[in-house]
Amino acid sequence: MDTLAKLQILSGAARYDASCASSGSKREAPSCGTGNTSQSGICHSWSDDGRCISLLKLLLSNDCRYDCAYCVNRSSNPVERASFTAREVVDLTLDFYRRNYIEGLFLSSAVMQSPDVTMERMVRVVETLRLEEQFGGYIHLKIIPGCSSELVRKAGLYADRISVNIELPSQVSLQRLAPQKHKDSILEPMALIGREIHSSLVERKADRRAPRFAPAGQSTQMIIGASPETDFQILRLSQGLYKKMNLKRVYYSAYVPVSADNRLPVLAAPPLLREHRLYQADWLLRFYGFSAEEILSDDLPNLDETFDPKTAWALRHPEFFPVEINRADYATLLRVPGIGVTSAKRIIAARRFSAITPEGMKRIGVVMKRAKYFITSSGRPFEKPDRTPALIRQQLLLGEGAGAEAPRQLVLSGLFV
Amino acid sequence: MGMNRYLYDGTADGLLSAIAWILAEESDPERVALSERKDTLFEDGFFIGTDPTLAESLFSRLRMQLPDVAHTLYFCMLAEKEGMETSLLHYISLAFTHGDKINGYLTHAAVRDIVSISKKAARELHRMKGLLRFEKLRDGAYLAKMEPDHNIIHPLAYHFRTRLKAQHWFLYDVKRRTAARWSNGALQFGAIEQFTTPALSDDEKQVQALWQTFFKTIAIPDRKNARLQKSNMPMKYWKYLTEKQGE
Repeated sequence: MDTLAKLQILSGAARYDASCASSGSKREAPSCGTGNTSQSGICHSWSDDGRCISLLKLLLSNDCRYDCAYCVNRSSNPVERASFTAREVVDLTLDFYRRNYIEGLFLSSAVMQSPDVTMERMVRVVETLRLEEQFGGYIHLKIIPGCSSELVRKAGLYADRISVNIELPSQVSLQRLAPQKHKDSILEPMALIGREIHSSLVERKADRRAPRFAPAGQSTQMIIGASPETDFQILRLSQGLYKKMNLKRVYYSAYVPVSADNRLPVLAAPPLLREHRLYQADWLLRFYGFSAEEILSDDLPNLDETFDPKTAWALRHPEFFPVEINRADYATLLRVPGIGVTSAKRIIAARRFSAITPEGMKRIGVVMKRAKYFITSSGRPFEKPDRTPALIRQQLLLGEGAGAEAPRQLVLSGLFV
Repeated sequence: MGMNRYLYDGTADGLLSAIAWILAEESDPERVALSERKDTLFEDGFFIGTDPTLAESLFSRLRMQLPDVAHTLYFCMLAEKEGMETSLLHYISLAFTHGDKINGYLTHAAVRDIVSISKKAARELHRMKGLLRFEKLRDGAYLAKMEPDHNIIHPLAYHFRTRLKAQHWFLYDVKRRTAARWSNGALQFGAIEQFTTPALSDDEKQVQALWQTFFKTIAIPDRKNARLQKSNMPMKYWKYLTEKQGE
């Protein structure tokens, strides 16, 4: 089989991996080699589904021993199988990089003979790139659950980012849909990676020449809608991963029906809106100072389809509003629907010069569509005061064309961690 | 009370020296208007001649004292936008009064105009770092053609100088007829009088076919979204994108 035919099979098999970030690492080009990385990440193209292409996303092989129900590469699925040689992947990466098609490589694989054999072959590819070819571009390497810790350590020394996919949000679902995978074989390497990243940071503080370990951190991915977990369960899991395992990113991937297995739900289309709302809630956890318990609860276990999670929170908490834009601190401004990290920072920067008027808010570039119901400027409300949450809810719905504009698809950005 | 009007010759040096002159001579630069001399009949204003030393000293003063402002000014000049001279004058005048945090003063019209022009140029530079496509030529060098809105060839070349330092390459701005060349550890800029497309290396079409295949297969068919693709990657950039040839 020639490289082109393999590429077709093995990039097609890799497309369900959501991560494409190339940010968070600042690797300088080796003195006589090719490539560096950019702290902010660079997108090189956008594919027909609108998602950013930053990395050459490939499986080393799709010849899988496992039979996970939700996966297109499961052993019982009659698809064509292929495996790259290390040289093929190295050459593709370099040929693409030299033409500026990509920021680097994202290498994953189906489980071949055993986790160790698979992981060893993957590590050999990146070892060749880094040592023989002096490649300084971005590398994201997937860890195969169940491989030895020695291989995990080696992977972290060559890669900018490493990730272990959690796949499904609970042990029960894992057992049902991916019987050959076990929670512990996923969480153990995650914890190991977390410790290694931490100790590398400590060592580099003492000696700047100490080796880096996965400088762009670790991430994971879970499939949404293939199993019955609620959004609350999912968000609490993510919160734990961010807090306890120090993950950089948790990716959510709407389940795309790839099998008629009766253990799986029948979906007309992938649950894209749910995925989008989960990403919004995830942002609230990471950048807006919210906790999972503020966003959802046992009585309210799933995210609102009509409103983004911050607006939904604001409607449940009228006592928090209105917020005075000329006095409120950063954390408070961030709680206002429609005011994001950029707007909040701009408001704080601009009011050092003079008080901000409603006109000024527009000049700064704050979108007032939602914010206007929740703020005052020097004591004056933007909209008629004494509005009840019910009224605001109605106004917001009318303003948004009764949800007709609700985004149907997530904008996956490679630019931000 | 009318505004004092000044004119300059339309060059970058002319603009900076006029701004330096006005800041030194006028008591209230915010009440001064500055524009390019067009030599039309009804033009009114006092012409300020170009003084490269004055321009250089203003820019280096900004770089030393107000690095964020110097950065904003640099990108604003790359934008080659007409009619922003008065805003730029007011912006720099405000910067000397308020300091390097002036970019936060977005409620001020001049600051907002200059910051947004400069941001647009910086955004296109960032975009181009990803969207530029090199083709391998028969002699082993690489060539990338582009038609950006902003004149970003200099900072773009600096990006590739560190990234692709092991190969010889050219950048060619087709609209402006300017080029950058990196070879044997030296970066040069120049104008191109006549451009003849050089022959491609023998394996170039093969590598392009691999990339086009990857581009097609990496998209999830159930999630097709042409609108999102176009909003992230506007069609004006497709002309030189390897993956968009033949569409």
